[in-house]
Amino acid sequence: MPSGDTPAVGAGASRQELMVIEAARRLRDGEVVFVGTGLPLLATTLAQRTHAPHIVMVIESGVIAPQVRPTPISVSDPKAMYRAVRLGTLREVLGGLLQRGLIDVGFLGGAQIDRYANINSTQIARPHGIRRLPGSGGANDMASHCRRLLIITHHERRRFPERCDYITSPGFLDGPGGRQRAGLNPDFSVAVVTDLAVMENDPETCALRVTALMPGVRVEEVLAETGFRPEVAPDLRAVAPPASDDLRVLRDELDPGRLYLKAEEAASSRRA
Amino acid sequence: MYADKVMSAAEAVARFVRPGAVLGMGGQNIGRVPMALTHEIIRQRIGGLTVVGCNLSIGMDQLVGAGLVRRCESGSGNLERFGTTFCWRRGIEDGTLEVEDYSHLAMVSRFLAGEMGVPFMPVRSLLGSDLLPPPDGGRPGKAVVTENPWSPAEPVVLVPALQPDVSIVHVQRADPLGNIIIEGFATHEPEMIRASRHVIVSCETLITTDEVRAHPERTTVPFLYVDAVVVQPCGAYPTSTYGFYDYDADEVSAYQEAARAGGPAVEAYLAANVWAHGTFDGYLMRAAGPPHLEALAEAMREIT
Repeated sequence: MPSGDTPAVGAGASRQELMVIEAARRLRDGEVVFVGTGLPLLATTLAQRTHAPHIVMVIESGVIAPQVRPTPISVSDPKAMYRAVRLGTLREVLGGLLQRGLIDVGFLGGAQIDRYANINSTQIARPHGIRRLPGSGGANDMASHCRRLLIITHHERRRFPERCDYITSPGFLDGPGGRQRAGLNPDFSVAVVTDLAVMENDPETCALRVTALMPGVRVEEVLAETGFRPEVAPDLRAVAPPASDDLRVLRDELDPGRLYLKAEEAASSRRA
Repeated sequence: MYADKVMSAAEAVARFVRPGAVLGMGGQNIGRVPMALTHEIIRQRIGGLTVVGCNLSIGMDQLVGAGLVRRCESGSGNLERFGTTFCWRRGIEDGTLEVEDYSHLAMVSRFLAGEMGVPFMPVRSLLGSDLLPPPDGGRPGKAVVTENPWSPAEPVVLVPALQPDVSIVHVQRADPLGNIIIEGFATHEPEMIRASRHVIVSCETLITTDEVRAHPERTTVPFLYVDAVVVQPCGAYPTSTYGFYDYDADEVSAYQEAARAGGPAVEAYLAANVWAHGTFDGYLMRAAGPPHLEALAEAMREIT
């Protein structure tokens, strides 16, 4: 059950749970999804076990089309390889599938994301020196080559600066035409699903704008937790409450030990 | 070439890992990291290393913690759910460790160029990002942007070939000649192994060359690239070896606690787990012991 300081929303789901469920809904049956570690793996497995049984997961360690067994904690965790059709190499999935153009959706976890959906997972400037982060991993490759990028992250002001200190993975770079000028595929869209809202790129300006709110969240809360000032879509909608099956699968099948959701809730409480 | 290459970790490391070497690191995150060979390098205190790989995790971090690493070139440094690679992070932040960052595809492309004997490989990653050196010219050796000769105005990134002086990998099976069989995911290792000047392989199980010849399609990399074969069951512990044993969350966490604290805590961890033992088996007995190792093997059987 949700912890006391995490407000329960629709059908008893916590905001963190609904964030995972909402991200899963954005994956369509039959799509080929390049899945990052952590919450993306959890949300994609949820999609596979609910509305998208024919989803094809690809994981950068070389795993192709697994039926992930709960609950992997790493892209090299054998639970993420369960019943795969091939356990291959990094080159064949990052090169032969992703760079080759055979991936529909890239799905990444939290990092620093700016107005134009550029991502920083390398380093953050601090008053005295830098805070070093893990680096690109496969994220730069995913943002460079997939047509649709899905990001799941907690909504915190420090995660959404006007401009990233360091662009590890390209979003729209400096705005309209930015990807084309850099030589990247301009056929590209981004959705960011958080515990407060959903933000998607405006097709004209390329900037992230708020397109949906989690139940019970006011738009002012979202703006207060966003370092840049996003536009709000005129047809702003509410994220639908979870179907009972979604919540059951997520809680009972996918994360029964609360490896992800409990820790995530704790992380969120620290912010509050 | 047809020599028997089976030797101890101590002999293999003493013969093929030189101070100042560019060291290729196998494994990824909590999977198949060559810990026995890493410990042996730490035991022999071979320093001034440049560690290269795609994801660098607990093996690299222990080498940094032991003060043996000058520089890293990789796509990432972290242990995912177990946190970052703390010694690496501290070294970068305090300026004692040089790093050169790439994406994972860019790093494996560098190994591919090294494997193919060509000076660079084109990629279409890195464009527009700060992983490219600034336009006023970065350090030579890093990626450069050029045009596709057949389609001018189409930018393409060239990444320089990387041929490690020596690579260390832990695999499931090898024969005495050094034919190796990687089971399960193989990450960047096939390219890195074939790009390296020397390769030390540790294996769970030594098989015969007749067994290799009976199923040659199973050979991941043939013996021509391999210099030393070290037979070391549980040689990736506390990371996992697909088909053999799962990772040990408690022991990874124990190291992470020391790494996060840094200084004397890292020194104490390495003293108790590496320097106190003449071989990797000593560490296995101290940190795990047979019943626990059997439980990790059972955990793997349950999910494969």
